[in-house]
Amino acid sequence: MSELSNITEGAGLMTNGQPDSPKTQRRMSLPKNWGRCLLILVPYIWLLVLFLVPFIIVVKISLSDTAIAMPPYVPTFAWSEGWTGFWNMISGWDLENFTWLMEDDLYWKSYLSSLEIAVVSSLLALLIGYPIAYSMARAPSEWRPTLLMLIILPFWTSFLIRVYAWIGILKKEGLLNMALMHLGIIDDPLTILNTDIAVYIGIVYSYLPFMVLPLYSSLEKMDDSLLEAATDLGCSPFKAFWLITVPLSMPGILAGCFLVFIPAVGEFVIPDLLGGSNTLMIGKTLWVEFFSNRDWPVASAVAVILLILLVVPIVLFQRQQEKQQEKGA
Amino acid sequence: MRRFSFFNASALTLGFAFLYLPIVLLIIFSFNESRLVTVWGGFSTKWYSAVFANKGFMDAAWVTVRVGLVSATLATILGTMAALVLVRAGRFPGKTLFSGMVYAPLVMPEVITGLSLLLLFVSLDFDRGFWTVILAHVTFSMCYSAVVISSRLVTFDMSLEEAAMDLGASRMATFFQITVPIILPSIVSAWLLSFTLSLDDLVIASFTSGPGATTLPMKIYSQVRLGVTPEINALSTILVVLVSTGVIAASLLTKRREVQRRREERAAVAGG
Amino acid sequence: MNGSPNSGSGCNFAPWSDPKEKPLIRFDAVTKKFGDFVAIDNLNLKIYEREFFALLGPSGCGKTTLMRMLAGFEQPTMGSIMMRQQHLTDIPPHRRPVNMMFQSYALFPHMSVEQNIAFGLKQEKRPKAEIKDRVEEMIALVQLQAFAKRKPHQLSGGQRQRVALARSLAKKPKLLLLDEPLGALDRKLREQTQFELMTIQEKLGTTFVIVTHDQEEAMTVASRIALMDQGKLVQVSTPREIYETPNSRYVADFLGDVNIIGGHILGPDDKEDDIVQLAWHEDYAPLRIRLPQPVSFPEKGTERWVAVRPEKVRITKEYPTDTHNILKGKVLDIAYTGNISTYHVETEDGQIIKSQEANLEHLHRRAITWDDEVYVHWRAGGCVLLER
Repeated sequence: MSELSNITEGAGLMTNGQPDSPKTQRRMSLPKNWGRCLLILVPYIWLLVLFLVPFIIVVKISLSDTAIAMPPYVPTFAWSEGWTGFWNMISGWDLENFTWLMEDDLYWKSYLSSLEIAVVSSLLALLIGYPIAYSMARAPSEWRPTLLMLIILPFWTSFLIRVYAWIGILKKEGLLNMALMHLGIIDDPLTILNTDIAVYIGIVYSYLPFMVLPLYSSLEKMDDSLLEAATDLGCSPFKAFWLITVPLSMPGILAGCFLVFIPAVGEFVIPDLLGGSNTLMIGKTLWVEFFSNRDWPVASAVAVILLILLVVPIVLFQRQQEKQQEKGA
Repeated sequence: MRRFSFFNASALTLGFAFLYLPIVLLIIFSFNESRLVTVWGGFSTKWYSAVFANKGFMDAAWVTVRVGLVSATLATILGTMAALVLVRAGRFPGKTLFSGMVYAPLVMPEVITGLSLLLLFVSLDFDRGFWTVILAHVTFSMCYSAVVISSRLVTFDMSLEEAAMDLGASRMATFFQITVPIILPSIVSAWLLSFTLSLDDLVIASFTSGPGATTLPMKIYSQVRLGVTPEINALSTILVVLVSTGVIAASLLTKRREVQRRREERAAVAGG
Repeated sequence: MNGSPNSGSGCNFAPWSDPKEKPLIRFDAVTKKFGDFVAIDNLNLKIYEREFFALLGPSGCGKTTLMRMLAGFEQPTMGSIMMRQQHLTDIPPHRRPVNMMFQSYALFPHMSVEQNIAFGLKQEKRPKAEIKDRVEEMIALVQLQAFAKRKPHQLSGGQRQRVALARSLAKKPKLLLLDEPLGALDRKLREQTQFELMTIQEKLGTTFVIVTHDQEEAMTVASRIALMDQGKLVQVSTPREIYETPNSRYVADFLGDVNIIGGHILGPDDKEDDIVQLAWHEDYAPLRIRLPQPVSFPEKGTERWVAVRPEKVRITKEYPTDTHNILKGKVLDIAYTGNISTYHVETEDGQIIKSQEANLEHLHRRAITWDDEVYVHWRAGGCVLLER
């Protein structure tokens, strides 16, 4: 209040003349900017050091050669050697690992089969997820929060445990075979575990919530009167679904497919636990290269190429998300 | 009032059966007397005793909980800061890079994140163990936290902060007395998300951990590779039940509050 | 006509017409740009103590920006804002003796009514007892004693509005800003609350600046109205002046309904020398407009407009006597709004003139109906001559 009284008391002293020439008033409060800098710098530096720099190191090591040492690659960089050491390191770099990846068809096949598995599982997840999301969106409104929670709940429980649960079901003497044989559908147990089929099941199962959620959110927003208008104008309900519902849920379909495809490409746990020895997926190849063969430079090269493969879908996904946001805004 | 159609009801039943049957079977067979996982040999809780008697499991669980608590807390603080930077800090040089670094870990394959962090720790000559796992977990969890909190901040009514400043609160006071209490639910969910992410992580922990810092997923993984065992079923059941109870309780609580709130709003309008 | 407690109650409150009076707030050549967009364009304005000052204008005219500059949420790009002798622009929002009542009310959802009202006092670290007394006083002022412990979501719209008002007044601000304070209330409640606002303002003697797009609200509550358009002040006057003697077609059209006819000055009337004649159509008699006394006559031939409010236009079937301006036409349309009827009359040259009549009798006995030949007419003193 003191400020206030100062202002009012000072009033009498003021002359009725012209005020000071109009001048630009720019207030720069120091603490605010200081706080802002700190706020930006802390997470920025954290991410630089623990996300970007590690990445640059991966690229660097992918250009190095394998060695039987610790760390198992040359050339390494010693701080004591200063700039010469740095130049020595750079001159020791080559694309040998990448040539190696080109020549050995194991890697090519891993990449291709990862992409194939990811594409097929995304489509399977879409086929299974769409009816679920559609039914959720058309469920009585008091049911929807519960259904939504039931979809999200598996996401909170351990991924590893959910994949593990399928082993007991899919293996030769597992629950599925037992049930099928008991019902007399098959006579001999099916080999599902350690095949690509098990991998598809595992991926679809694990990533189904990622498909259902965006589908649900785009279907739920849809105005019922659109379908009523379509049938009023002579569409059969089925045709109305194809001409109205599906096109309008396209953003959800795209988002869902990206959300399944992107993590599936680099998946390790599922092919390792459910897949067989001839299930090739790049995440598993990288893991083996790193932990079993201890070939760090090749593992890094595999990582670099995996990332390059993922850049396109990630950028497409981002674009699509931004477009949606702009539309929403 | 809308009702379930036959198609909707069957799609939902089949869908949720697919999602939940494996877990339900796993839980049922954790109470199986027989060591043969697929043959029912009578009800027993002996595998649970076996889990609690297994020092390896218990040690790993303790490591996991400590890693989870520390990394979730750090990740929430850093994530809140990152969210504020994304939503409130306006333009600054390198903002595009920053938002790229926040969103990239969300879509980055775990094997790459794990490998790159490992290579960082090796080249810095860090001893791998408890703290390196925490650093790794904070790094990816903070990005999830940032996304959760920033989506709340985007819809934050700025006039609330302006009102606080107008009434004499400094920037700091406004942040802690107004902004934080109002976005608290999203901060809590960011913490819970970070904690479960840390609890579940196998791949990144495998890369960044060292001797003496085996987390529970790593322990489970090494056992699972040898085949299905009833102990693992029992351990999995414990974890699933713990997490599900937590999540369901939290969402019921939120829902009840919401219902209460809506009732009060209606009463206020009717009475006013 | 003027409902303001200050100027209407006979105490002759008009500090703006007293050259010795010092303004509380003074805008000097204030410009505010957002990028290339000029929100406030070289604006000068004085607001006096104890005024209830209304900023009126269409959305995007800059009235909210002007208010936010007073609160300190925006800084002027050029020019200065003074409060008495102090540059307001030097003071950050949380140190200004200015409080604001937000359009959304901006009540803190996690605090009770009491806590909301106490918030500003607590920031000043006042003694607990003093805060308690002041909060009680404010709660009593807005008559919310029964609701002190409630959270905002447990209140109705009208109650929230009162809490917001009490909260913004708790610190005894020198200046209270009200951003569309009644916009969220329904019509009945809004009218009632307008009078409450006026009572409270008169009681406390605080200077109020209200932003509104509702001209009736501005007319009801304000001692003076500033009508804004595209970042500029178009007219700053009392409600009576701004309605009766608008300074432009824009003002006349913005406030209430109006008929505007363009023409050229012909010269003074032969009988009454304070009446000017305006030629508006070659086949018809010129219009006659009485000018306010101290105004010099415009030159012959200059372009001018005449504005006449529909309620000042009479409509009759017989040729009227004892009036200045008479136009013949046909009833095109009748808008019946219960208390009044508005007749749209097309004159012989195609001009539409609106005339309002109070519905003194039941509708079925109305004398004039569609397609009737009628005369619309108004007195020279009932219309104004506009320069632009």
